Amino acid sequence: MRKLVILLVSALCVVLFYFTLSSFIKVFHYDLTVPAQSGGTPPRYRLVLITQELDTPFWNKVGTGALQAAKQNGAGLEVWGSYGKNREDFLKKIEIAIASHVDGIIVQGLEEEEFNRLTTVKAAEKGIPVITVANDVPMEESLRRTYVGSDHYKAGQMIGRRLLSDMGTAGHVVLMGSNREEDYQRRRISGILDILKAYPNIRTEVVTAGETREEVVQKTNEIMNKEPNVDAFIAVAANNAGAMIQEIDKRAKVEKYHVYSFDDSPETLRLLKLGKIDALIEQSPDRMGELSVKLMIQWLKGESFPLDYNGYFTDIRMLRAEDLR
Amino acid sequence: MNSIQKKILTLSAIVLFIMVLIWVVLIYYNQKTQDQYNRILQRYLQMNEVTATSNRMVTALNNYLQDPSQLHLGELNESKRRLQEAQGQISRLQNGGNAFTLTNYVNLIDSFVESTNRSVKSADEKNNEDSLNYFTEATRFSNYISDTTLTLLDKELKTYDQFYRGIIEQSEELKKLGLWMLALITVLLLVFTYWFSLSITRPIQKLTMAAKELSRGRFDLEIEVPSNDEISFLAKTFDRMRININNLISEIQQKAQLESELQKNKLLLQESQLRSLQSQINPHFLFNTLDTLSKKAYLEGSEETSDLLASVAGLLRYNLKRLDRSVSLYDEVKVILQYIDIQKARFTDRLRFVQETDRSCFHVQLPGLTLQPIIENAVIHAVEPLEEGGSITFRVRDGEDAVIVEIEDNGVGMPEDKIRNILEERVPVAEGHSTGIGFSNVVRRLRLFYGRDDVIDIRSELGRGTKVILKLPKERGIGYDAQAVNRG
Repeated sequence: MRKLVILLVSALCVVLFYFTLSSFIKVFHYDLTVPAQSGGTPPRYRLVLITQELDTPFWNKVGTGALQAAKQNGAGLEVWGSYGKNREDFLKKIEIAIASHVDGIIVQGLEEEEFNRLTTVKAAEKGIPVITVANDVPMEESLRRTYVGSDHYKAGQMIGRRLLSDMGTAGHVVLMGSNREEDYQRRRISGILDILKAYPNIRTEVVTAGETREEVVQKTNEIMNKEPNVDAFIAVAANNAGAMIQEIDKRAKVEKYHVYSFDDSPETLRLLKLGKIDALIEQSPDRMGELSVKLMIQWLKGESFPLDYNGYFTDIRMLRAEDLR
Repeated sequence: MNSIQKKILTLSAIVLFIMVLIWVVLIYYNQKTQDQYNRILQRYLQMNEVTATSNRMVTALNNYLQDPSQLHLGELNESKRRLQEAQGQISRLQNGGNAFTLTNYVNLIDSFVESTNRSVKSADEKNNEDSLNYFTEATRFSNYISDTTLTLLDKELKTYDQFYRGIIEQSEELKKLGLWMLALITVLLLVFTYWFSLSITRPIQKLTMAAKELSRGRFDLEIEVPSNDEISFLAKTFDRMRININNLISEIQQKAQLESELQKNKLLLQESQLRSLQSQINPHFLFNTLDTLSKKAYLEGSEETSDLLASVAGLLRYNLKRLDRSVSLYDEVKVILQYIDIQKARFTDRLRFVQETDRSCFHVQLPGLTLQPIIENAVIHAVEPLEEGGSITFRVRDGEDAVIVEIEDNGVGMPEDKIRNILEERVPVAEGHSTGIGFSNVVRRLRLFYGRDDVIDIRSELGRGTKVILKLPKERGIGYDAQAVNRG
């Protein structure tokens, strides 16, 4: 009896001791160092990448490439921007960047007076270099250091050539663009037209639509009513491609048209796979981010001076529907 | 110090120590957490301070532009100073997560201050358009500062997320730890207290048991209490007391035994005195009569009768006076010879008495009337029952440290058990007609007188005779003097 009691009591002690000890270890195990004390020197260069279209696949890739390059070079980089092409927000971000005295601004080009004022007057006043990425703006108006991105003129030419080989030297081509005057769009169109103008039998028509889906649908309807014998559609602004093709598909079999687009968004890629788009131009967004950061750092360090004002072009590639099938 | 007290103090000290330890640990952790909370709160407050001050500064600037008085300028400068102070504090809040934003933030404040300054300057130069432009810019920057504050707070939350969760979990765990510890300490203390109280009460219980045994009269059980405190001391003292009592008891027993022996001795003496008194019927009359008889016999020419009567008178006188004191061997021998004379008159030729004595030993002291009863015994057993009579040999010779007295007869001998009876001083069966003092009386007195047992020895062979050997030490050992006995 006595032995049993002793055994029970000691077992109880052991159990309690075990729990107390484990609890004790847990309490003291918590590493409660305040992050402030874990330090971290501020990066040598503070760069910002500002875009109008945050959280789109294209810009995510640009951001990833840029962040990687920044990390490799020991620079701090943040991706700022507006969602859904909100210009006001976008410009505000640029102004904040300038007011924050960042070391370099990598920005998606925007052809607008305010943009030019900020980049020329404000940024230049503070001595902050600006590099445009993916979208260029005319150099004279923006005082940008350089441009990193696709050669849109060349892309246009590639599409033009492709169209020729698909369609032949005669036909009616509609170029669907955005009603915003964007540098890249202008370049693409001029690239296409430069190829096609050698063939008098090819009739081209440049149509501009608004940004929204409804506007694109409306415009597509309009053009198909007016011109029933269109042979080819080229979506100059990639965002328009989806709505446009959807509308064409409603009225006739889209496969009988030659449809081309730029930019490989998930939507266009899906359409390409389905064969509703014949070909599109694939850009290298991650390379754009990477290269722009590298050039910026080089410029800040004074390693490459001056930068090539005409810009540094990244690879473009023609994606054809038959390649994906 | 007192040992039980020490034990109690130790227990209290241990309990106190554990409690203090726990208290200190808990307080320490509480304080640490509190500090952390304070620091975090401080960060938030400082960030908020920037926003608030920048807003105030915009208001102050607006006031100044509306009414460029010294008062408003003072206000503006005051808020500017405070903003810059806050800026200085903010720049110290940098950590790995917010370095980028924080630098932007600090620069943004600079830009804001710069715009404000420019606005004021333009206003002073009466350039109202520029002043207004800069004011608008400053307002925008102020908004940007608010925005960035939010971004910073957001980052702060993200950076500290793990930390906050850690704090919450830790405090949760701390609560659990407290409970477990409480349980553990309760059990441990209970066990410890039980054990501790046992260490005090167990010796007391043992002591109680021992006391009970003692009160029942068992003094031979050793009291043993394995402990190191006062109880052990008490037990030792108790044990010593028990041993003392034990010794006292055995001493008392010994004394009682001695007392009873003395009593026996006294009774023996009284008995012999009584016997002699019985035969003492007016001794003087008897002596005078015997003397008269002796003279008359002598006058009537019966010399032999006269001598006999004189011997009887001498024997009687000796018998009456020498019983209670020691006498020399010489006196004893004289009495023996008188006694033999008397017996010879009775037994004539049947009694043959041979005397071989060394006179140099006659100075030895011995109790009175010790030899005569032995001779008488020999006469009664060796001469009287036999028709042809018997011979008694009386020898006194010098041993080394004792005088050897031998009384030998050639009678029927003594049976073994009778010898034993005599030597073991058992009360003999009265037989024959002695002068009154029995053999065992003699043995007893001799032993008491010399204080040793080997003073007498009897050897006998049935049909051949008996030999009584007395060894009388020349130096008297420790014994009871007959006189001392008499006085008692």
